[in-house]
Amino acid sequence: MKLKLSIFALMMMFFLVACNPDSSEVDTGDEESSGETAEDDELVIANGSDMVTFDIHDHNNTSTEAIHVNLFNYLVKADGNGGFVGDLAEEWENIDERTWKFQLREGVTFHNGEEFTADDVKFTLERVANDDTLLEHGNYNQIAEVNVINDYELEIITENPEPALLNRLSRLGSGMLPSDYIDEEGWDTFLEEPVGTGPYQFTEWVKDDRVVLEPYEDYFGEAPKWNKVTFRSIPEDSTRVSELLTGGVDIAANIPPEDWERIEGDDAVKLADSPSQRVMMLVLRTAENEVTGDPKVREAIDLAIDNEAIVENLYNGAATPTRTRVTPGNNGANEDLYGQSNYDPERAIELLEEAGYGDGLEISFDAPSGRYLKDRETAELIQAMLSEVGITVDLQFNEWSTFTDKYSSRSFGEMFMIAYGNSMFDAALALDRLTQAQNEGETDYINDEVEQLLTEAESNMNQEERVKQYQKAQELIAEDRPHIYLFQMDSVYGLQENVDFEPRLDEMFYVDDLSKN
Amino acid sequence: MNANTQVEQNMDVKPHHKEQSRVSKVFKQLWKSKTGTVGLVIVLCVILMAVFADIIAPYDHTETNVSARLLPPFWMEGGSFNYILGTDNLGRDVLSRIIIGSKVSLLVGIASVIVAGAIGLFLGLVSGYYGKWIDQVIMRLVDSFLAIPNILFMLIILAVIGPSLTSIIIVLGVTTWVIYARMVRSETLSIKERDYVKSARAIGASDYRIIKKYILPNVVSSFIVIATLNVATTIILESSLSFLGLGIQSPDVSWGLMLSDGRDYLATSWWVATFPGLAITITVLGIIFLGDWLRDMLDPKTKS
Amino acid sequence: MRYFLSSILKVIPVLLMISFIVFFLVRLTGDPVSLMLPETATDQQREDLRQSLGLNDPIYIQYFTYMADVIQGDFGESFRYNQPAIDIVLERLPASFTLAISSMIIATIIAVPAGIYSAIKRNTFADLIITGSSVLGKAMPNFWLGIMLILILAVQFSIFPVSGSGTIAHLVLPSITLGTAIAAEMTRLIRSSMLEVLGSEYIRTARSKGLRETIVVNKHALRNALIPVVTIMALQTATLIGGTLITETVFSWPGMGQLLVQAVNARDMAVVQAATFIIAILVILSNLTADLTYRFLDPRIKYED
Repeated sequence: MKLKLSIFALMMMFFLVACNPDSSEVDTGDEESSGETAEDDELVIANGSDMVTFDIHDHNNTSTEAIHVNLFNYLVKADGNGGFVGDLAEEWENIDERTWKFQLREGVTFHNGEEFTADDVKFTLERVANDDTLLEHGNYNQIAEVNVINDYELEIITENPEPALLNRLSRLGSGMLPSDYIDEEGWDTFLEEPVGTGPYQFTEWVKDDRVVLEPYEDYFGEAPKWNKVTFRSIPEDSTRVSELLTGGVDIAANIPPEDWERIEGDDAVKLADSPSQRVMMLVLRTAENEVTGDPKVREAIDLAIDNEAIVENLYNGAATPTRTRVTPGNNGANEDLYGQSNYDPERAIELLEEAGYGDGLEISFDAPSGRYLKDRETAELIQAMLSEVGITVDLQFNEWSTFTDKYSSRSFGEMFMIAYGNSMFDAALALDRLTQAQNEGETDYINDEVEQLLTEAESNMNQEERVKQYQKAQELIAEDRPHIYLFQMDSVYGLQENVDFEPRLDEMFYVDDLSKN
Repeated sequence: MNANTQVEQNMDVKPHHKEQSRVSKVFKQLWKSKTGTVGLVIVLCVILMAVFADIIAPYDHTETNVSARLLPPFWMEGGSFNYILGTDNLGRDVLSRIIIGSKVSLLVGIASVIVAGAIGLFLGLVSGYYGKWIDQVIMRLVDSFLAIPNILFMLIILAVIGPSLTSIIIVLGVTTWVIYARMVRSETLSIKERDYVKSARAIGASDYRIIKKYILPNVVSSFIVIATLNVATTIILESSLSFLGLGIQSPDVSWGLMLSDGRDYLATSWWVATFPGLAITITVLGIIFLGDWLRDMLDPKTKS
Repeated sequence: MRYFLSSILKVIPVLLMISFIVFFLVRLTGDPVSLMLPETATDQQREDLRQSLGLNDPIYIQYFTYMADVIQGDFGESFRYNQPAIDIVLERLPASFTLAISSMIIATIIAVPAGIYSAIKRNTFADLIITGSSVLGKAMPNFWLGIMLILILAVQFSIFPVSGSGTIAHLVLPSITLGTAIAAEMTRLIRSSMLEVLGSEYIRTARSKGLRETIVVNKHALRNALIPVVTIMALQTATLIGGTLITETVFSWPGMGQLLVQAVNARDMAVVQAATFIIAILVILSNLTADLTYRFLDPRIKYED
């Protein structure tokens, strides 16, 4: 046995030498065990994926932003009804079509003690507006420049009239960064030790494991509530649910429907859900030479799909049928089309006969697999429903990378399924993909009235008129069906029984809005 | 890394003596080895199931029935004889899916072993027989493949070319050929030095003839043992690929896919994942028993 | 010494081949740009990003640029983390090593006694049970075992934490999960190694001299049977690291395995390349070490070439 031990010791030594001990320790043993519920003044939230980066301009990940909102502040915040309230900005006005003036809150400090001024706004916004390698660049290059008037006053000049500027400034990429700190210490230091103006400051980030925040005592708003906030990353669904059930986490995001029963059956935990910005939809080719170029065929497809049944059976009701992608809470939403679905298989059969496909027809259908909750099952049910009315669907599942390859090369067949989000909360982004400049090779949708409405609305500074233009466009699109909207997906959270949390449409975790009793 | 080769040779595959006719002996021995018999019976049953899958299966594996979702097996409350092993989250019959899934699982297992075996046999023969620089190159290639974990290799390739039945078979084959190449090479090396091969060469027999007549027949039984055992390994690897999202894609169905999809239901509807899991376990068990018996039979050294 | 040097020299072409394989595999992944941008990005945004990443250059130029950097220890920047890929990988190594070592310990604790015992008691009921369970251990996919362990030992009986890292308790379930398959393989190999030794000439001689069976087993057989086990353990390094991909994902253990799975899914090429390279070096080193240890422990072994 001695021999065995010595061999073993040798192996161990080799491993230890090779492993090049690093600063990030695993076995510190001083971390709080997640096997028991956290203290009352601590909060643990489990996400399905890790935070991506602290570079707020170089990601497009909602669950990352959901963490960042506790560290950084925007100039303005959406109020959830299409309006805005001040955050770092106290007042703002639209001076002319291209100029917006902002008055900043005074006495705001960053976590390193420096004061927040108009220079920081200039730095933050011009960085993302000018650097085209940043992932958020496309959502900010409408900004031409930021003029600093004095420490607390500034003007934002846009390239063109930009009615959705406030939407842009109240989302991902607009968290105000400390310009002096970054100038002095460098960007890499900022990424390791990020500094913002928010109620919580950065403690540590163990990648693919957890992000830990602690309160910032000099926060300008109400004093932060929690002594420690931990965001954990637990990609495997069943593991995340198990953590919730054992009390390892206070909140677990993205609870799949198959686990609801387990959670509902346990007195220590509960479910909370909210509509999200994600809308599942079908995209069809409308060019004349395609079978789906016939509006009757597209209508038949729409009528053949029983959205209610999909929502009920696959999502346990945690989704809402819709006939538009601009759902309530978004600027320009057409609420008449929301909550609607028009299932009518008999009419669908008639329409197919009228279109000359009484003997049936075949279409190809591409769907992603494993990207969205229940995407595969949804596609399979749609295939089954379409076959009921005589449409043979050649269903092809695509792993996400294959899907995105086909998506960006626009090489799908007659129909594909996708679920778009909308972090802008504005109809412009939701309908952009249907403009003739964007839809070539995808839907090839041509409707001059829709095109005109969308072009005009894009730069229309008259908000009321703009909303009307978008609503009208949505009606026309719902009739033409280049997109067949299926349902808006909910985000579903699991909570400990003592946690109060109102899930938000934008999926953010403002941790001070949460409480435990 | 020759010691590895050596050990592997000692532990896994033993050089054996000349091939003889032993059909009757084989059956006698099979009967003596109880695990061997069990293994053979299991493997035969699974093969029969796969061959006649479409006839045996009570339902089509893609047939959904939303009003009969997640029904338990017949002996539990709420279960019925319509769905003997219950239904999955889309109301598909678990039994039918297992029966039809056996086709893909076995196909993946066997076909990828054939691909790997062909590559390994060829490169191993070339490497062992011709030696010199070509041996060096092939052996360094072997070392490179050994240094990258199979599952990682497969993950990367499948992410590149996209998972489909064909690509999974090829990838499994391309990443697992190394074991055959090493075995074939070392056997070839030792056979090459035997007197009868040397004298055959002296009379001027062609390389092709020597390989075909003297080397191949001596390699074949060790080869069969490894290949059999590897069918089991690939069936398990396929389920790991499914877990990582790069295995067989619906509407095709394999046991690995069912097991992986069913994992979310383990706590609530255990039957969705447990039965395909059992199918994998039993089949792998059968294959390993059969393979071990083959090894014992073909290898005189560990025979009792 | 000469053997040692020639072994080291062999590593170089192997590393070159690996770099070649990995680079081309990863570069063929299609278009990373479409994965990096949201579904709503415009074609212009895609083209801009592609240009700025140097993805429009011919592929051989990309390879040479890449190799020149790799020699200087630069594997490029991670798309996902905007940091040097090598730093991200090295940061994860300790976590994976902790897991790998404790799995190896668990595997050894199970496999050595089990393997020896079943060899000594060959063809008894105990042997059948041990052989049977080792087959079961092999037949169980990792993720399935991991999830079952969580459901039973963490959720049902609250003995261990479900997932994450931080304390020794967090290490237990993932180590069992990862160690089981290795233990199964080791048990089988130790058993046959032991059988071979027990059947050999000198053991029979020892027995015929009338030595007590325990002495024969402990003093003579064990030593000789365990030497190859070192090599077996080293050969399992690749399998072990492969297993971390799945185990770490199930238990959200912040090591290299989970990093790799996420990186492949996000097509974070730089990280995939860096990690594969590091893994390959580790595997080669551990095989080399085992090889040399083996030689050191058993001088009778002769080496060809």
